[in-house]
Amino acid sequence: MNWTKSMRTTVTEKLTWDNLLPSEQPIYVSSLVYSFGVFTLSSLVFTIMSGVIMAAYGPTWYQYSAAGAFFRSVHFWSVQAFFFFMTMHLVGQFFMGSWREGRAMTWVLGALSFGVSVITAFTGYLSRGDFFSQWNQVQSKDAFNGAGLDGFLNILNNGQVYGLHIAVLPLILIVLVGWHMVAVRAKGVVPPYQAAHVQKKEGEKR
Amino acid sequence: MTRKAHFERNTLRFPQKDFDMVKEGIVSLGIVGVAVVIVAAIFGAPYRPAITNQEIANQKPILVMQTAMGDLDGQGEMAAYGPPYNNGWHGVAQNIQSIGPFSPQTWWGTPYHLYTPNADVITPLTMLATASNNSALQAAIQTYNAASYTQQQAWDNNFTNALNKATVQNGQVVVPSGQYGPVQLMMNDELALAKSGLLSGALDRETNNGVYRWNIQNDLLFLQGPALHQYAKTIDMKGGQWGINHDEQAYPGPWWLTPYTFLYQVPPGSTSPSGDEIVAYTIAVLFGLLILLPFIPGLNKLPRVLPVHRAIWRDWYKRLETTNACASCPLATSCNKEFHGPMTAAADHKIPACYDQTTSGAEGSRFVSQDSGIQPHA
Repeated sequence: MNWTKSMRTTVTEKLTWDNLLPSEQPIYVSSLVYSFGVFTLSSLVFTIMSGVIMAAYGPTWYQYSAAGAFFRSVHFWSVQAFFFFMTMHLVGQFFMGSWREGRAMTWVLGALSFGVSVITAFTGYLSRGDFFSQWNQVQSKDAFNGAGLDGFLNILNNGQVYGLHIAVLPLILIVLVGWHMVAVRAKGVVPPYQAAHVQKKEGEKR
Repeated sequence: MTRKAHFERNTLRFPQKDFDMVKEGIVSLGIVGVAVVIVAAIFGAPYRPAITNQEIANQKPILVMQTAMGDLDGQGEMAAYGPPYNNGWHGVAQNIQSIGPFSPQTWWGTPYHLYTPNADVITPLTMLATASNNSALQAAIQTYNAASYTQQQAWDNNFTNALNKATVQNGQVVVPSGQYGPVQLMMNDELALAKSGLLSGALDRETNNGVYRWNIQNDLLFLQGPALHQYAKTIDMKGGQWGINHDEQAYPGPWWLTPYTFLYQVPPGSTSPSGDEIVAYTIAVLFGLLILLPFIPGLNKLPRVLPVHRAIWRDWYKRLETTNACASCPLATSCNKEFHGPMTAAADHKIPACYDQTTSGAEGSRFVSQDSGIQPHA
């Protein structure tokens, strides 16, 4: 088996312009539910942009300067929007059974993105540098230690927590979200449920 | 199924309509951006300054001495914590979390070693003695270190008991006279060091393999006991108060942790000494279920029986009905029965008669999947 050929074929077939940037979509796409995904992504863009600006000025800038406080606020509300839209997206996709017809991996990637987002947000809260950070650090040390993560993560080491928050976890999240989107585009959005007997009939024929 | 069909966007078998993905993305970015910036400008973001050892020393000097004594005599929480900081006090740990024999807390040994008598008392005081050329303190430390463990414990116990009767006069902690050896002088200087703000500097220096770094472990672990808990309680931040779930009043907190925080409100999370481990692994199992939902029999069919998808795709089902797509379908009767059955008896009768998009109708052959082998009903 030629891995290069195989990869080229897969990429060529999956990542066509028609898939990546479609100019038409199935007629059943007609609900507000479909906007939660793109709103989630937009919120993530603003979260990352405000985060990059904060990282550039260093981890105490947003604690003492007015401009820093403003970008910290943008970051805070972007994260709130991100989780709101992501939760709505997840609930909506659940009710649509959106893992059907070969889309299981899309769901798995989305759910993993949710989990990584929760950890990323938590390390962000710990990087705020105020009482909330301080308190949740001493509280969560027992949880991280009890769960057996203590060998890797010293939650009281601000350097490690901040590094995870601004580099490691966002990179993992961006890869997962990107992969999730490619999976969505390659397969198209899940079709409506059909009558049970029709699905059974299709299943028999396939 | 051919290899090509596997990658094919099979939604192309449905009728298509115009869609501008780029425009949708830009408009969405615009809406979210404007909303976020306006909300951020108006409301700001929560921030409550951190608490320092210096503040505690000024406000509750006896508490600082009690904490330091707990670290010195091994009665304090951190002195006997166990992994990853130490192996308990003289080998006896206060509480190591465990579900039966499953105790991952112990897997890694003590990578962040903390021996509290030295870390929190002896080392900072030695630094203070050197910096201030304080020979009395130097002598007291030497006396304490040279004494037997039994003698140390006797002094420690006497002074710890005396702290229960202590009063604060002009910022100084006054205790009844007693057999405290060098301990009273050491504690007075520990308090002075904390009041000056330099105790945190000394503690931070210990955990950074140098000075210009960020590991605040020992500093926070000195504060972590009653000092922070008493303050947290006043603003409803403790675990039993859904602490981690909310932020400052009126600001939304990390509400997405609600399922996790909930488990701390009910047994065994709220009662077991291994509550943290139990809660962590319960959440891990639940999250595993969420990830693997597509593969879990029963659960993966759940949305099929819940009627929500009919609302989401109501336009599509209505269209099937209004275009009379099911008119010639031999299955129309059973379709109708299924979707107007008991579950939807009270629902709007505009619910479509048929979910079957494979029938021939107004949309003609575009309804037909090319690779599914399904033909329009005659």
